[in-house]
Amino acid sequence: MAISVKVMQRKNQEISYLRAALKGMALTFSHLKRPSVTMQYPEETKTEDWKLPERWRGTHRMLTDEQGRAKCVACGLCPQICPANCIKLVPGEDEEGHRYPLVYEIDEFRCVFCGYCQEVCPEEAIHVGQHYENAEYSRDRFVYDLERLCAQTHPVSTLWDPSDARGE
Amino acid sequence: MSEELVKLTIEGVEVSVPRGTTVIEAAKEAGINIPHYCYHKGLPIAGVCRMCLVQIEGAPKLQISCATEVAEGQVVRVFGEEESKARSSVLEFLLINHPLDCPICDQSGECELQDFTFDERQGQSRYNDFPKRYDPAEQFGDDVMFVANRCILCTRCVRFMDHAAEEPVLNVSERGDRAFIGMHPDAELNHPWAGNVVDLCPVGSLISKDFLHKARVWELDHTDSICTGCSQGCNIHIDTREELVVRLRPRANEDVNKFFMCDEGRSNYRWLNSGDRIEAPLVAEGGSLVASGWDHALARVAQIVKGSTGDAVVLASGKSSNESLFFLRELFGEFDLKAHFRNFTVDGELPLSGVEGLALREERIPNGTGARQLGYDDSFNGVSNASIFLILGDDLEGITPEMLSGAKNFIYVGTTLPEAARNADVVLPATTVAEEDGTYVNRDNRVQRFSQARTAPGMGRPAWWAFAEVLKELGRGDAVDTAAEAFDAMASNVGAFNGMSYSTLGKNGQKLAESSAGVSK
Repeated sequence: MAISVKVMQRKNQEISYLRAALKGMALTFSHLKRPSVTMQYPEETKTEDWKLPERWRGTHRMLTDEQGRAKCVACGLCPQICPANCIKLVPGEDEEGHRYPLVYEIDEFRCVFCGYCQEVCPEEAIHVGQHYENAEYSRDRFVYDLERLCAQTHPVSTLWDPSDARGE
Repeated sequence: MSEELVKLTIEGVEVSVPRGTTVIEAAKEAGINIPHYCYHKGLPIAGVCRMCLVQIEGAPKLQISCATEVAEGQVVRVFGEEESKARSSVLEFLLINHPLDCPICDQSGECELQDFTFDERQGQSRYNDFPKRYDPAEQFGDDVMFVANRCILCTRCVRFMDHAAEEPVLNVSERGDRAFIGMHPDAELNHPWAGNVVDLCPVGSLISKDFLHKARVWELDHTDSICTGCSQGCNIHIDTREELVVRLRPRANEDVNKFFMCDEGRSNYRWLNSGDRIEAPLVAEGGSLVASGWDHALARVAQIVKGSTGDAVVLASGKSSNESLFFLRELFGEFDLKAHFRNFTVDGELPLSGVEGLALREERIPNGTGARQLGYDDSFNGVSNASIFLILGDDLEGITPEMLSGAKNFIYVGTTLPEAARNADVVLPATTVAEEDGTYVNRDNRVQRFSQARTAPGMGRPAWWAFAEVLKELGRGDAVDTAAEAFDAMASNVGAFNGMSYSTLGKNGQKLAESSAGVSK
């Protein structure tokens, strides 16, 4: 038995694609007039209404004193607190009898960027930084020595202060 | 101090202590540590720091517990409002001149000022205008450095030099707020026991140049041990950091060394970190020593012992433990054995004159008494016509290969391989005093335990273990797994040690039975 098929009869304006195409194009072209939300990374790294948060914890930076020496006194608290065990420190003494780090190395690959080193530092020497662009040609370049840590120029992170939770 | 007991109440805890005890000591009996700086049990009482103030019921004002004797029915309060406030004020005054340099201070982590300040939870100073300041560091002696800024003038160092060392080179110079610890202008702090002022100093004012910047205290592991420097047998802590011995410090034992140790012993730790160690058993094959395994090497020793008869000569180091010396004797039980140990003597004792019975002794080995008890003597002068010759330990200075050549078989058990031992048939890697558990007997016949502080490099094992394994191989004994078992085996075989075990020795040791103590000199 043949199946009887009922063919719907519709008006031309309902089955024409022209109307839908024009509607779509209208939406597309309307975007030309709207403000752009795309950030042109890497040419642009921050915009009017977006920048890296203050509390961003990225690769480290060692702050220096007026003479350009690292502020670190090699107290040993950062390797002690580091949960990833990525800080190597050998203390020594300079000509004036000041304690300073003979060796200070941070393995940025091993680091988990918790920021404990900055929090524990009594001299405000080691900081995590507002920095995230890290590319190198070899893996060992990710072990930052003291010279390299001191040479970093990016802004340092502001750690969360529980007494000022909103950063005001 | 009479034996009459006095009953008193400290913070609600009733304690009975002998008459004449100070309140601060009685409080320790009650489990309360009253904060203190100038007071030290091994020194005369000064009462200058005023930190140990307590309330004694009936007394018109607060008393310093270090200089107050107990009395019957006394009621002492330590943590009440008034005395806590007084102590916290004293602490605040002490902190006026104390620099906030804990991050670079070597004492940090074992500093009493730091600990009590932390307990007081006094985070901020109300005074930071004109703290007194001196030269950052002054050299007091060969190993002692003085950081005047950190000093809280407790005078423990002055009293140690006056009353214990009896060489008064330190004093309190100037007065009042200008006071500082001064040294005699023509003297140096180089008394053979001067290093103790570093331990006595409650803050980081007197510090050891040897330990300076080497490690932070909280990275260290402390192991109870015995000094190997002389026959006095001072109780010590071996402080290790990641398997390296970084310093030795005295451990309190009222019966042996009180609270002190000499500088000679204190600096005698570098050999424990020696890098030229034998790491595997070596067996002579085709004229040279070849690295081997324990099974093969022990089988070789067993073969030598089995195939020989007649004379055997052993030469043990004066640092060998009783356990090793005992099992060594057992190993050659069926031979005509000549047992010797290496003795080193230096003319003249270096006493700590203010403390009775404490000196750096002439006999510069730790276990001469133990060796004599176990039938060893120190009259070695060469080997001739022996079937087996065995050396235990490395102390071979003054011994030439010719002196060792008169034996058919030569076994060497030690930690390094000196020239004289290169023609041995078997070399077994042993452990140092820091790498094994064991006991020594000091000159007063006191048997004292030492414990393992670091792991032995490579395949090194304690000598008693190796000898017990050979005995097992020969079918003359069971395996001995621990030093405690080795000691028990010795205690049941050697009269002088009868009835002793590691648990009866404890931390302070135990004297040999009186009747059997005649062998030693």
